[in-house]
Amino acid sequence: MPYHTFKCSECIPDRAMHAVIKGPGEDLTSCLPLGYLNTIPGTISERGCAFCGAKHVIGSPMKDVIHLSHGPVGCTYDTWHTKRYISDNDNFQLKYTAATDMKEKHVVFGAEKMLKQNIIDCFKAFPHIKRMSIYQTCASALIGDDINAVAKKVMDEMPDVDIFVCNAPGFGGPSQSGGHHKINIAWIDQKVGTFEPEIKSKYVINYVGDYNIQGDSEIMIDFFQRMGIQVLSSFTGNGSYDDLRGMHLAHLNVLECARSSEYICNELRKRYGIPRLDIDGFGFEPLSASLMKVAMFFGLEKEAQAIIDDETARWRPELNWYAKRLKGKKICLWPGGSKLWHWAHVIEEEMGVKVVSVYSKFGHQGDFEKGVARCSEGALAIDDPNELEGLEAMEMLQPDCVLTGVRPGEVSKKMRVPYLNIHAYDNGPYKGFEGWVRLARDLYNAIYSPIHQLSGLDISKDEIPTDKGFMTRQMISDVNIIGDGTTPIEERPYTGEWDIVTKLRGKKYPKLESQQQLGMV
Amino acid sequence: MDDVMKDRVEQLADFIMKWCLWQFHSRAWDRERQNEEILTKTMQLLCDEPVNLSTPSDRCYWVDAVYLANGFKKTCPWLGIMDKKDIKLLMQGLKGRIDYLTINGSLNQELTNPIY
Repeated sequence: MPYHTFKCSECIPDRAMHAVIKGPGEDLTSCLPLGYLNTIPGTISERGCAFCGAKHVIGSPMKDVIHLSHGPVGCTYDTWHTKRYISDNDNFQLKYTAATDMKEKHVVFGAEKMLKQNIIDCFKAFPHIKRMSIYQTCASALIGDDINAVAKKVMDEMPDVDIFVCNAPGFGGPSQSGGHHKINIAWIDQKVGTFEPEIKSKYVINYVGDYNIQGDSEIMIDFFQRMGIQVLSSFTGNGSYDDLRGMHLAHLNVLECARSSEYICNELRKRYGIPRLDIDGFGFEPLSASLMKVAMFFGLEKEAQAIIDDETARWRPELNWYAKRLKGKKICLWPGGSKLWHWAHVIEEEMGVKVVSVYSKFGHQGDFEKGVARCSEGALAIDDPNELEGLEAMEMLQPDCVLTGVRPGEVSKKMRVPYLNIHAYDNGPYKGFEGWVRLARDLYNAIYSPIHQLSGLDISKDEIPTDKGFMTRQMISDVNIIGDGTTPIEERPYTGEWDIVTKLRGKKYPKLESQQQLGMV
Repeated sequence: MDDVMKDRVEQLADFIMKWCLWQFHSRAWDRERQNEEILTKTMQLLCDEPVNLSTPSDRCYWVDAVYLANGFKKTCPWLGIMDKKDIKLLMQGLKGRIDYLTINGSLNQELTNPIY
């Protein structure tokens, strides 16, 4: 077995099977770390809790909803939206989050009465919002407050409101992934089938498992709508509460992040017979294949091909410009869940960047199967790494950039290894053809930033050259680019706009509209 | 299975592992169904046999099968000179290999969890 023991974790024998190095000839029957197990005492895990997974990842991207945590205020602060789950309703769900602010007296005497008053106050404070999600926390779970009963009472008294209750306390699973599971099942049990959105097309999908980080979902939904496909609901990025109640009416579930939302797709298949199609929305080739698969399901191949041809012609030369300069660079791909397998191979195929390590704090073995299968020999796969293991991995692998979230990213910066924020993104969206070029650009900017020359100098002892200016990114990156005319003239750095999402809002889709005019139902 | 066939099965399995996601559904019974449906339809496409598209599920399996058949043809030119009997044998071997990698030989301890 190709298990890897970190020196820093030799004193924690239970960590022995949580990291593997993919050796020559290894496959999934010999090379797979353990995953989704309770955190081992002695290792300082960087995981989130189940409440965080339910509320922060899946619940709160719903846009037309008051999100209320029933618990101490800290739970809400710590899950307030530091991710950029944007929405087209002026980011209501990013701007406002609510908590019942439970105190000791509520723990002793119960907090149901106070919860009810809070719900009513919230609806009064935002009279244009008629939908609410309430999230149980550790405190309210332990004292046994019946949130469902309180919500029902309010709905009886206020017939124009609808409330969803998510009972996923922080301790409800080994990590945030426990919360993903609980909210998926709660949503289908409580809400799916309770509303019938308008069907406007012969071709109807749910787009599942994308949270609209800097507009990712909107980019993908634009492609589908250009083909004439109605996206009935988006689970949950920029998603509307009532649309998501109508998920049972779609013809196909198009699934991106299986880690966070395969549960609802499996249940929709079981209960309503809606098939599940797993896709990759990142990278030119996988995205093209994914769009074509969705199109083929409905017989819309020509429409998909037109989009693929247009987008590829527009953006491939810019991707190539970066790929030439990124070729041979090494990265640690340390995201949350799905990007470890969405990107493990295609970032190497299309940008020439070698993935030397993948990790996940909350991924299951199923996620590592996909990641390990896709990454190259020599890659180190780590489940639920602690900070010291991350440091040791960086020392061992010497990556040129670490693609991760803010917390491990800041550690990486202290090691003088640039990092790219792929949780909340730097300058996303990264989905779509243009988005993939934006990722290449951000990677290029991170790796070749002149700051790395300067940050290595110690002004207390190093000689500081005063006769030279700074090296720019391109002066550094182009050292190995031969200016002999082999670079096609059309290859160039990114030329897109700063904001590529806002213009999609309110866009007309002739293929969808023509079906509406024909009275398609 | 001779060495040539083994090598070819491995090439096809590598393609699936790298470029597909359907083989990694979360439970053993899902994987059995996915492997069976998609690889059978892929075999039918490669052998120019009719493919059942009568239900939405069939169409969903079929789109993955079309992608696979096209990918195999593109990356494995030797497929073009194989006769249909050999392609069927090859696909049978591939099914066995994918079942082994994703189900029977899998180290994934969640495959047998009875609920989603």
